[in-house]
Amino acid sequence: MSVLVPLPVAVSLLGAAVSLALHGRVRLQRALGLAVCIVATGTAVALLTIVQREGVVATQAGGWPAPFGITLVVDGFAAIMVTISTLMLLGCLVYAFGQLDAERERLYFHPVYLVLQAGVCLSFLTGDLFNLFVAFEVMLIASYVLLVLGGSQEQVGSGMTYVVINLLASTLFVSGVGLVYAATGSVNMADLVGRLAELPPNLRGGLGLLFLVVFGVKAALFPLFFWLPDSYPAAPTAVAAVFAGLLTKVGVYAVMRTQTLLFPGDGGPSTLILGVAGATMFVGVLGAIAQSDIKRILSFHIISQIGYMIMGLGLYTLAGLAAGIFYIVHHIVVKTALFLVAGLVERAEGTDALGRLGGFARRAPLVGALFMLPALSLAGLPPLSGFVAKLALVREGLALDRVVIVGVGLLVSLFTLFSMTKVWQRVFWGMGPSPEAVPPGARHGQATAPIAGGSRVRPPATMLGATAALVALSLVIAATAGPLYTITERAAADMLDTTDYLRAVLGG
Amino acid sequence: MLLALLALHVAVALAAPTVAGRAGRWVFAFCGLAPAAVVVWASGRAGGILAGRAVEETLRWVPALDLAVTLRVDGFSLLMIALVSGVGVLIFAYSWSYFEPRPDLGRFAAALTGFAGAMLGVVVADNLFVLYVFWELTSITSYLLIGFEDDKEEARGAALQALLVTVAGGLAMLAGFVLIGSAAGTYSLSQVLAEPPTGTAVGIGLLLVLLGAFTKSAQVPFHSWLPGAMVAPTPVSAYLHSATMVKAGVYLVARLAPAFGAVVFWRPLVVGVGVATMLVGGWRALRQFDLKLLLAFGTVSQLGFMMALLGAGTPEATFAGVVLLLAHGAFKCALFLVVGIVDHEAGTRDLRRLSGLRHALPITFAVAVVAGASMAGLPPLLGFVAKELAYDGLLADAHQLGLAPLAGAVAGSVLTFGYTARFLWGGFASPVDVRAGAPPHAHRPSAAFLAPAVTLAAVTVVLGALPGLADGLSAAAATALQEHHEPPHLALWHGVTPALWLSVLTVVAGVALFATRGRVEALQERVGGLPGAQEAYDRAVDGLQRLSEGLTGVVQNGSLPVYLAVILLTAAVLPGGAVLLGGSLASPPPLAESWAQVVVTVGILVASVATVMMRRRFAAVLMLGSVGYGVALLFVLQGAPDLALTQFLIETLSVILFVLVLRHLPDRFSHHRWRLGQALRWVVAVGVGVFMFGFALMAGTARTRQPISRYFLENSLPEAGGHNVVNVILVDFRGLDTLGEITVLVVAALGVASLVRASRRGEPAGP
Amino acid sequence: MTLVLPAVVGVLFASGTYLLLQRTLTRIVIGVSLLSHGANVLLLLSGLGAGEPPIVEGHTTPVRAYTDPLPQALVLTAIVISFGMTAFLLSMAYRSWRLTHSDEVRNDLEDRYLHARGGGPA
Repeated sequence: MSVLVPLPVAVSLLGAAVSLALHGRVRLQRALGLAVCIVATGTAVALLTIVQREGVVATQAGGWPAPFGITLVVDGFAAIMVTISTLMLLGCLVYAFGQLDAERERLYFHPVYLVLQAGVCLSFLTGDLFNLFVAFEVMLIASYVLLVLGGSQEQVGSGMTYVVINLLASTLFVSGVGLVYAATGSVNMADLVGRLAELPPNLRGGLGLLFLVVFGVKAALFPLFFWLPDSYPAAPTAVAAVFAGLLTKVGVYAVMRTQTLLFPGDGGPSTLILGVAGATMFVGVLGAIAQSDIKRILSFHIISQIGYMIMGLGLYTLAGLAAGIFYIVHHIVVKTALFLVAGLVERAEGTDALGRLGGFARRAPLVGALFMLPALSLAGLPPLSGFVAKLALVREGLALDRVVIVGVGLLVSLFTLFSMTKVWQRVFWGMGPSPEAVPPGARHGQATAPIAGGSRVRPPATMLGATAALVALSLVIAATAGPLYTITERAAADMLDTTDYLRAVLGG
Repeated sequence: MLLALLALHVAVALAAPTVAGRAGRWVFAFCGLAPAAVVVWASGRAGGILAGRAVEETLRWVPALDLAVTLRVDGFSLLMIALVSGVGVLIFAYSWSYFEPRPDLGRFAAALTGFAGAMLGVVVADNLFVLYVFWELTSITSYLLIGFEDDKEEARGAALQALLVTVAGGLAMLAGFVLIGSAAGTYSLSQVLAEPPTGTAVGIGLLLVLLGAFTKSAQVPFHSWLPGAMVAPTPVSAYLHSATMVKAGVYLVARLAPAFGAVVFWRPLVVGVGVATMLVGGWRALRQFDLKLLLAFGTVSQLGFMMALLGAGTPEATFAGVVLLLAHGAFKCALFLVVGIVDHEAGTRDLRRLSGLRHALPITFAVAVVAGASMAGLPPLLGFVAKELAYDGLLADAHQLGLAPLAGAVAGSVLTFGYTARFLWGGFASPVDVRAGAPPHAHRPSAAFLAPAVTLAAVTVVLGALPGLADGLSAAAATALQEHHEPPHLALWHGVTPALWLSVLTVVAGVALFATRGRVEALQERVGGLPGAQEAYDRAVDGLQRLSEGLTGVVQNGSLPVYLAVILLTAAVLPGGAVLLGGSLASPPPLAESWAQVVVTVGILVASVATVMMRRRFAAVLMLGSVGYGVALLFVLQGAPDLALTQFLIETLSVILFVLVLRHLPDRFSHHRWRLGQALRWVVAVGVGVFMFGFALMAGTARTRQPISRYFLENSLPEAGGHNVVNVILVDFRGLDTLGEITVLVVAALGVASLVRASRRGEPAGP
Repeated sequence: MTLVLPAVVGVLFASGTYLLLQRTLTRIVIGVSLLSHGANVLLLLSGLGAGEPPIVEGHTTPVRAYTDPLPQALVLTAIVISFGMTAFLLSMAYRSWRLTHSDEVRNDLEDRYLHARGGGPA
């Protein structure tokens, strides 16, 4: 079944090439993009079931034996990530059909979007450190282009921060690969497991921390996250939603993968990582509370939530890692859905500044519900997916006597609720806004007209449908949390005990 | 079946908006079906449950987390179901009359039904986590219901306060459940109670759980959200904020008290907080002018009473608490419904403006008198029976609890009598206070509007006069909580007991309190309210907002150079510290492998420092190009001719690109002062440089194994048929990298094209 | 392994870092380029030691005599990728210039607003 492993990447790249050839024929491009996303999602689901049945599957690109060629590996963690990511990319593509203006869509949106998918999938699947770098670059260049698509002043300004920070991180990444090769003579991750273990502890520790910093920038960990809230909100919503849901999580994936596989430390809870997790949660949520427009609030919550995922890594037990992975899955769906809702509001009202909004739930009750559910889930309220994820972390944290991080986690959960109710009360409840209530720093260059009261809002079916589908998916995650949690537990087991991974890659 | 009933609530709630769209107010009849079904089911199963056979059901959810929807109905749960679903049916009936037809009735009915389901879940949940699930669901539905009139600032604020306070407590409770459950080895409430765990962790866990119970049941000092919640429509106040949700904390404490009452802090804390709440609530109720607020503080007071009784954990007090729970559900709910009718028919709830309503609304008045008398503890009503039992129980347990709780209960009951009198007198009898404006004209309420309140008043009369009717239920409830030596019984007349004398004392003192109300009011003016509770909440929220803005304003300052500096410093300090401090170099390598290498190196150094120093754009770019060519020379010396060639080519292309862009820009870099000072810039730069130098040196001298590239050298020709190994690696061994590289180039080209060709919108006019 | 190569890496990183911490966009772009030169030299250095160019002609030369080919391949990939990135960044700078006639990176507007409200140093 190993032929399936490269398929999500291959089909996306091929699709991108064809889509490029179809430049100017938007309808065909749409159909093609949809087909590619569906195939990729289907393949991902197939991979997930295969991994459940047969364990880790590896394939050697070009047929060259590991560790010499590039190995693609799918274990439980990778399969989960590919599945959830392709699902999100599918949802956001459908949403984009309704949301993007014609000019942006013509400007290479479709091929670049598929390249993004290829980069994301390759990042999850590759078993080679340098190839991971390449995968990141493929993903990043696509994200740069999507971010500044249309080239408005705000996009270019925000995009600059994003691009420069990521270029710096990439440079550090490639330097890290160089250092690893200098010290060990290999770049195949499975091969590196043994080689890195032989290095003197200071060097191994330093390399581990360097990769933590490199991926920490991409994952937006404290204190490396500043770029995120300044760049995401500027992108078109469908793009911002993909960024918010997926891109930082690719960073989280890389952190978890490298820290467990290559730099497992002494195998116990890591106070450093737990400290980073706590600071990320706390500073992130305070940032969200301080903001006054929806997308910026949501952007800060991304940071805050990443703290919880990293907390799972910091606990470094089967249950902790499983909880972290479950948290990632939950978060990707919920956060993407929230951004899509923000886009619906922005489209209807012409702004996402809290001071200019109000009474939206009366005019679009369904959109209100579509916000309420993921918002509560984000805050970890039951019986939604966020609750299951948080409960898992709290249980394991207390079982390991890590009281401080559990306390911070619960407090941040309350603050998250506070911040989400702020959005709810100012956007979905209340009358319309009063004209003088607009804060001087409100996002500029967008609609200035006060809101027409009373009339019902009817978003395009594609946008509403995609949003509703993601919210429904988050409910499904909560309802089927039992079996899903078993899958994440198995993935976590493979991360802690790498025997299977090594055997699949290196053989025998 | 229980699961199906819960699902029924969800389904009905989901359908409510649609039904309301077609049927208007009849949506309440539709939604009332859900609690009605529960009542029917419970009546059918009551026999077995009262005989001590609990009904259990389980649905698996997340086995790995011990999360299973385990439901269990014993006698106590049955009593709570009577409140939740029995009162629920009446509330839906009442809502039908209460509301004018309006477009958003659907979402109100949906939230109310959702609440009824959630509350049912709370009282039947056996799994601790599932109990928490339903508990928080009641908080969320309560939030939506308090904020129903969401165009009012006041409603939004009150809804938020109720939500935040109860969710904060709920989160503490969740942590407490984890601590208790992991110590017990089970998360089944009934199993935990059967074999209560002990230890420090359990003690902390109990404190956390109590925090949840106190916030939910509006105990001092967390009580201030409850009066605020009175902005909600009256059916909500009657149902959630007097009859059911606020009793969730009391319910949980009642469950835990028999098992954990012996824990050293339990009784002083729970009984103390309960009595304090009873007194504070009663005292505050005495100075309210809004009938609804008066009742709300009365509810706070009564919740304190119940908390003290059920928290004591002794058999007698528990029994009294159970009966009070039932009695309070009936009389307080009836009173709220009365206030709703008054509000509806007279247009105000201000007791300074109301007058003579006893003539205009005789039946309403009668209901108010009966329910009020029950609240004040007058015979022959259920409230009296409950209070007698309470006095009795506290007397009997005085050896364990001391006399303070008894004294507090009596004092609290005197206050209760006082505010009840204030309610009835002010609402229905007093001459109008002309300063407050003319008394409003009152309409007669319809029979349907009155029926639910009349029913509840009838319950309090019938069960008071014939307590035997409630005997089975309350006894079963009490024995479900705790073993009793002999089954307890309800009676109206206990004979001339100390409790009776205390009741007499209560009434006498209460009458005196009412008679001297002028002076009491004056005293209250001087003493003022209990400072702190509401202010503390306001200050906390305010402080959080200010802390957030302050911290974020400093941390997230929007400056790209600062962000970069932080990242670079982190990268240099964290890994750099680990590498450079933790080890030493075995033997320093030679300076260079050839003199040419030294020469080229010096060239690169000079060029790169020059790049930094140049103030003209073109000069800087040319220096950058020189660095690139120098690097290419290094490649040549290292034995990498292909690489050098590519580097030359790419560097040339880069310089051309730079020039293409830069010819639009001014010749010199702009000069400006900037607060990340020059010194700091140098520190970061040198730090990063030293870190990279040291790290490269350490890593470059650490290798012990053969590199994998031996394979490429050996197999390039025989396996792949290529002489140039680097090329073979690129196109064959690591072809995937090259595919990615090409993709990057193509997408970058698309990006460049889209930016250059992007429409000119947004561009300023001019050059 | 030699001392000069790590020294080149260190100096390139230091000067790149210095330029990165500026507000002028052009200098930032130049800084990024210097950093990627540094990273490329580091990658090359990871082959440990110079040698014959890795062009094999049968089995006449022992494998040890060649310089390590893998880092060279990696550097080649990295060079091309960073060229693509630089080109894109330059086009952003160009677009930014067209839109604002400014060659400076400005602080994020929302952040500045909050910064002013939060009372931090201006």
